[in-house]
Amino acid sequence: MFQVIGGRSVQAARLLAPRSTVLVEAVRGRKSRSDPVAKSKEGRIKVPVSVDPVEMVVLKERYSEYKLIMRALRMEFKEGVLRKKYEEEMGSQAELRARQEEEEHRALMDWNNQENLRILKARVIRIQQEEEEAERKKMEAAIQREQEQQEFIRQKEEEILKLQEEAKNFVTLENLDQRIEEALDNPKNYNFAIDKEGKVVKRTVLQ
Amino acid sequence: MPRYELALILKAMQRPETAAAVRRTVETLMERGAVVRNLENMGERLLPYKMTKHNERHSRGTYFLVDFYCAPSILDGLLNHLHRDVDVVRPTVLKKEEQEPKSSCCDEKTRQEMKR
Repeated sequence: MFQVIGGRSVQAARLLAPRSTVLVEAVRGRKSRSDPVAKSKEGRIKVPVSVDPVEMVVLKERYSEYKLIMRALRMEFKEGVLRKKYEEEMGSQAELRARQEEEEHRALMDWNNQENLRILKARVIRIQQEEEEAERKKMEAAIQREQEQQEFIRQKEEEILKLQEEAKNFVTLENLDQRIEEALDNPKNYNFAIDKEGKVVKRTVLQ
Repeated sequence: MPRYELALILKAMQRPETAAAVRRTVETLMERGAVVRNLENMGERLLPYKMTKHNERHSRGTYFLVDFYCAPSILDGLLNHLHRDVDVVRPTVLKKEEQEPKSSCCDEKTRQEMKR
């Protein structure tokens, strides 16, 4: 029936109980609510502990005094805290501090704006310079391309002129007979001999 | 237009016949739209080996070189025609590369001598 138990609810009781006793609690052991009462406990009437009037009066007095004092202390402390809070928010120092903070804030914002302006100017200058560079480069590239094109055209024109010159010697239907006669009269020989000193010999044996 | 060279080996014939064969070939070229640049004769020579063509065995032949410009598409037909020509022993068309102005292998003196 009585069991030794542990747990959080028991910590407070442990502080108050004297050190010699064992901590017990009423626990339903073997029997449940509907089981019949045991024979040994048949006529038992549980009677609560009777109150001692003298003791009751004394205790009541002491308790009321105690509670009064505790309440008073608590109110005092609460009031102190509230006062501090009030002073913090609306006291004389509060305005001064608020104004100081605002001034500081304004000064910092000004400084920030100054910095921004300065950097803006620097950036604008830099961007302008970069733009000019890009422009210049583009112009140069365009000029370069132009020059290359001119060069190319010039070369091609040269080639055309050269070809036109050579075209005067080409074989046409009118030249044909003449050229054939010429060719048959002048047989060409591309063979030659060369020795290690670099001497060239063109005369060969014609078969 | 790309530039080609026809190394033509003709049968060893008399002069008028050779002339006629050359004329025929050049006219064929021109009909097919080629522009003939130059015509060279390397003479009648002993062939490097005996060649058989059109049921005849040839040991001597006349070499001709024809530079011309033409479109690549006509070469096939041209070669076909030349193979069928009885007087032609061997037609060879080669591409002519763009000549470089100077070559690094020879020195000045040798180049002069070679030119002569």
